[in-house]
Amino acid sequence: MGDSVVNALDGVDLHVAAGEFVAITGASGSGKSTLMHLLGGLDRPTSGTLEFDGQLLSAMNEKQLAELRNRRIGFVFQTFNLINRTSALDNVCVPLMYTRRSFSKKTARAALERVGLGKRAKHTPSEMSGGECQRVAIARAIVNEPALLLADEPTGNLDSKTSEQILQIVHELHATGITILLVTHEMDVAVQADRIIQMKDGRIVEDTAVDDHRRDEILRLNRDSHERMFRKKAAARTGTSTDNHSSEAKRVG
Amino acid sequence: MFHFRIMLTALLSLRQNLLRTMLATLGVVIGVGAVVAAVSILEGSQRVALGWVEGLGADQILIFNGSEEGSHRRTQTESLLPKDAGLIATENPEWIVATAPQYTGGGQIKYYDKNTYISILGTTAAYGTINDYKVSDGRFVTPQDILGKTMICILGYKVAEELFGVLPAVGKRVKINGKGFVVVGVMEEKGALGFSNVDNQVIIPISTAMGRMFGARYLTMLGVQCVDAASVTTCIERVKKTLRVSHRIRAEESDDFVVFTQERMKQMFSQFAILFAVVLYSIAGISIVVGAIGIMNIMLVSVTERTREIGVRIAVGARRFDILRQFLTEASVISLIGGALGIGCGWAMANFLHKVTDTLEVYTRPSLIVIALAMAGIVGIISGIYPAIRASRLDPVAALRFE
Repeated sequence: MGDSVVNALDGVDLHVAAGEFVAITGASGSGKSTLMHLLGGLDRPTSGTLEFDGQLLSAMNEKQLAELRNRRIGFVFQTFNLINRTSALDNVCVPLMYTRRSFSKKTARAALERVGLGKRAKHTPSEMSGGECQRVAIARAIVNEPALLLADEPTGNLDSKTSEQILQIVHELHATGITILLVTHEMDVAVQADRIIQMKDGRIVEDTAVDDHRRDEILRLNRDSHERMFRKKAAARTGTSTDNHSSEAKRVG
Repeated sequence: MFHFRIMLTALLSLRQNLLRTMLATLGVVIGVGAVVAAVSILEGSQRVALGWVEGLGADQILIFNGSEEGSHRRTQTESLLPKDAGLIATENPEWIVATAPQYTGGGQIKYYDKNTYISILGTTAAYGTINDYKVSDGRFVTPQDILGKTMICILGYKVAEELFGVLPAVGKRVKINGKGFVVVGVMEEKGALGFSNVDNQVIIPISTAMGRMFGARYLTMLGVQCVDAASVTTCIERVKKTLRVSHRIRAEESDDFVVFTQERMKQMFSQFAILFAVVLYSIAGISIVVGAIGIMNIMLVSVTERTREIGVRIAVGARRFDILRQFLTEASVISLIGGALGIGCGWAMANFLHKVTDTLEVYTRPSLIVIALAMAGIVGIISGIYPAIRASRLDPVAALRFE
């Protein structure tokens, strides 16, 4: 006795379709990171079920989960979590090491080029800026061409300009068909997604699709990143109004 | 191929922390070095000892003063008389070919301004024939020298070299412990014979040694040559009988002399070698344990320090087994590097001691290198297993948050 049980997540029912770009927002302690860890197969729920591409995560053993994380899921963290004193290229090679086939560094180099860091391959994290580190981390996440990218506050440690560059890359990845799940507490970041899920005290309090009008706007912005940058604040404002609109709709429903 | 990659990763991580890696290997370097040096010295000494024993010949008996189980009667420990040598030979002519009484002392030999410390052996002509030890120049001790207590000497190979260099030594006058001697012969190069390095020895007639030089009554030892190896047991009986009569030992009293044969010497050496080995291996074992603790300590620090890295590796698809294997490999690589360095250090140490002491023989068996490396590998795995298990059991979520 004495210890009270705290449920980080409670009664969460969430379905994310393939190819979606979903943002999860909420204050710290609202359970968004826990949700992310569960979805990434890093943690197991005390009760409830998780399904990835038709496979039940709770039915998987440790080896299968590791393979899932390795092949199908990419992680990006707020603090980059690169291995120090190891070159960008070798950092990107880490997931390949755990893929049960021989690999060439070409794959890793290609991933670095996709995030625009082909020329920094030999540099170590301490020799790179925060934005560059996060790009290396993204390259590491996508090196095995995952179906799902889980990004936990990827712009949390970056200034707004660098954040834009990172989000630009995320959009590009989304355009290639990768499902994106982005945890953030910044609304102007969240609004760039197709769907925003708001969490509070371990529950989903709002699940809002960004409506077609805004979606068109975002897609258009996506085609032209410069224009998107100028309209960031406007997009943030529309995001908030969308939320209000949908909650009203729910109440009506 | 995958194992090779794990190995490569381990080497890379270790290179990133070169100083720490070197410190971690230090314990194993010392441990393995101690083992290699100790075993090299032990086996070198054993080889020398066995060489001596083999040189003694299976058909020889050595008799020393003293008693097997503590004498009841005598307070004095010396008992062998010069006449015993003659008695043994004359009373048992069908069993014994020759006897060589020996008296050993130390001293200084001088030739003008050159001098050196030597061991002095007083003996008879039989010493040379029994041990198959010949002069390379001049002559050996003759019966006339014994009778006349002549002041002649035969120099060991090294003694002659030291005093006269390439010049002939025979005919020169030297001083041994202040007394004038004439060099009549120089011995061939022999190295070790019995317990001493005879190249550094000067031989004089036994009568001169005991009478004029040292004023001694009793022999140091007595060498006996039997007719063949098969008759050694009979010879021992005969020798004992003769000596007991000569020393007037009563039936209930024990011998006041000790008889050694090649067989018995071998046993003694092997017993001594075992004792020596136990001591050396204990020291080496302690060093290895210290080395293992060192590695374990460094690995535990490394696991804590790299908690986040472990979290990341799990997040990108490492199984717990992969993490376990990585840290085990790192520990083994540290240990193997230490082992390789240790073998080098131990070998160098043993050879250094050999050079410095001049008497210590060393021998590094090739299989010893393999054993030492295997031992280092095992130490690595044993000391790495606990840190590796800890690393592999980390909760990835907590590890990723670890500051």
